[in-house]
Amino acid sequence: MIDPSIIRPEIALDDFLPIFVSSALVLVFGGFYVGIYTAVKVKLLKPWTMLFAYMFWVLTAYCLYLMGSLMHVGEFTAKALVVAAIGLFLLPFAVYYMQNQVHEENEH
Amino acid sequence: MASKYLTGVGSESKQLATWYFTFAAILFGAQLLFGLIAAIQYVMPGFLYGILDFSIARIIHINALVVWMVFAMFGSVYWLLPDETGIETVGIKIGKLLFWIFAAAIVVVVLVYLLIQVGPADETTIWFITEGREYIEAPRWADWGIVVVALGFVANLFLTGIKGKQTGIVTVLMADMIAFAGLYLAGMFFTDNISVDQYWWWWVIHLWVEATWEVFVGAIAAYGLIKMIGAHRQVVEMWLWIEVAMLFGSGILGLGHHYFWIGTPEYWWEIGALFSALEPLPLVAMFIHVLYDWGKTQGAQEEKGSTVSVVNNKPAFTWFVLNAFGNFLGAGIWGFFHTLPQVNLYTHGTQFTSAHGHLAFFGAYATILIGMMYIAVQGTNGIKIMKHTKASLWGVSMIVSGVVGMTVALTIAGYVQVLVSRAQMGATWAGYFDGQSGMWFSQAMDWRLVMGVVTFLGFIFLAKDLLTTGKNPVHER
Repeated sequence: MIDPSIIRPEIALDDFLPIFVSSALVLVFGGFYVGIYTAVKVKLLKPWTMLFAYMFWVLTAYCLYLMGSLMHVGEFTAKALVVAAIGLFLLPFAVYYMQNQVHEENEH
Repeated sequence: MASKYLTGVGSESKQLATWYFTFAAILFGAQLLFGLIAAIQYVMPGFLYGILDFSIARIIHINALVVWMVFAMFGSVYWLLPDETGIETVGIKIGKLLFWIFAAAIVVVVLVYLLIQVGPADETTIWFITEGREYIEAPRWADWGIVVVALGFVANLFLTGIKGKQTGIVTVLMADMIAFAGLYLAGMFFTDNISVDQYWWWWVIHLWVEATWEVFVGAIAAYGLIKMIGAHRQVVEMWLWIEVAMLFGSGILGLGHHYFWIGTPEYWWEIGALFSALEPLPLVAMFIHVLYDWGKTQGAQEEKGSTVSVVNNKPAFTWFVLNAFGNFLGAGIWGFFHTLPQVNLYTHGTQFTSAHGHLAFFGAYATILIGMMYIAVQGTNGIKIMKHTKASLWGVSMIVSGVVGMTVALTIAGYVQVLVSRAQMGATWAGYFDGQSGMWFSQAMDWRLVMGVVTFLGFIFLAKDLLTTGKNPVHER
């Protein structure tokens, strides 16, 4: 017989699957965001598809929020997740800007 | 006539690289074979009982993985050095001697694992059989041999880098490889406190695979993109420096996610959580980088009115693209969803870790190292445009399907363990067995074995393709 005090998950049993799925989707949607952003910038996709890139970032941020809420993360980890979401938003801008600058300098 | 940079003929450094790649491929086969034996033992625990127990099959499986990758990494460096520096590798004869010492040491270590297996609980075992630290279980005499070989390799790299042209790729490799070699020392000394021991052991494992090896991949990807699609060196190298900053910036203190439960102070929870949350960012960025360079270079080609692909080595490029995706999936997604301490409390030490390990090692490292083998095969055989063959396509499809299949199966098994063994049964002894005996866990292990067989068959196609490329008329010379 197991001591009932041991069976005390801080995370509800039904929440494990949503946690794993939402945390996987953070990067799947994040990947779509940066992928579409870059593909539009290098003219592999039409400019209007950029809208989808931003939609994917919103989904990424939502999944981060959902994951953090279900895990009951502390204040510090919640802030870390917000920093990660903002970092992901800015990342393709920064990387593309720097790469393009170097490209321009070497072509002109 | 092949381009000069693609030609391996006549370069002793490139010849040595092909030795390293060949031995790496043999060890890769051994890794898969012993992985299959271990997978069969999960399904049929009596298989080879008393002859080759699970513990020994697992030791060879995971150590062969590390060693074949190290061999292929050394081979990659010896291959690219003449291209990057414009000179033959300095001290190449010592490099060749060290190759034979390294290869002989590995053969002896494996024979000891197979024939002696276990020893007395004293220093003899640590010195001559196994040190017992996962992934780096080589006995101490072999540890010192590895240190000598690594120092020789780093000396070859530094002397060549200093004497020849100093490109960004070589400079990054010089810094990275000295860290790579130096970190091995952290796993070589003995302490009688398991927490302290694990603390230092993680310096080797984590700081290799989530810092120095990732930076190595960045440097190899940079070299590959220049060679295979003619990407701008300045763009690629500028990116490489950003990547180094991001990878080291998030990866070094990402070490904290291994310090949640080993007896280290609680502040590692916050450090581990913060830097682990940031660790996927460089992986996402590496993915953008490949897409950017490919799109830009192909776009420039199309602006000139040509629709011909810019890729001069299709199989290698396929493996490099798989690396961008695989790194993102295996290290990124499968790492991220159990990295925060709140959920890692439940997933730690379950098959989730194994799922992450399989996809991350394959996606982040095996893919790009196989790509480098194809680049070497192209150069050695003087091929100008290397195309896909049936064997290369079967090889890549089966290996990728097999590894992804194993990962999914192990993830399902891990999920069962999280729910049953950890959440419901509170990480008890009974919970451990309940989790393992459930139908979902058992079936997941069956599927892991099936997918392991698929991976092994894919490896046979890959080996066949690499060995027969020289005679295949499909490639343009």
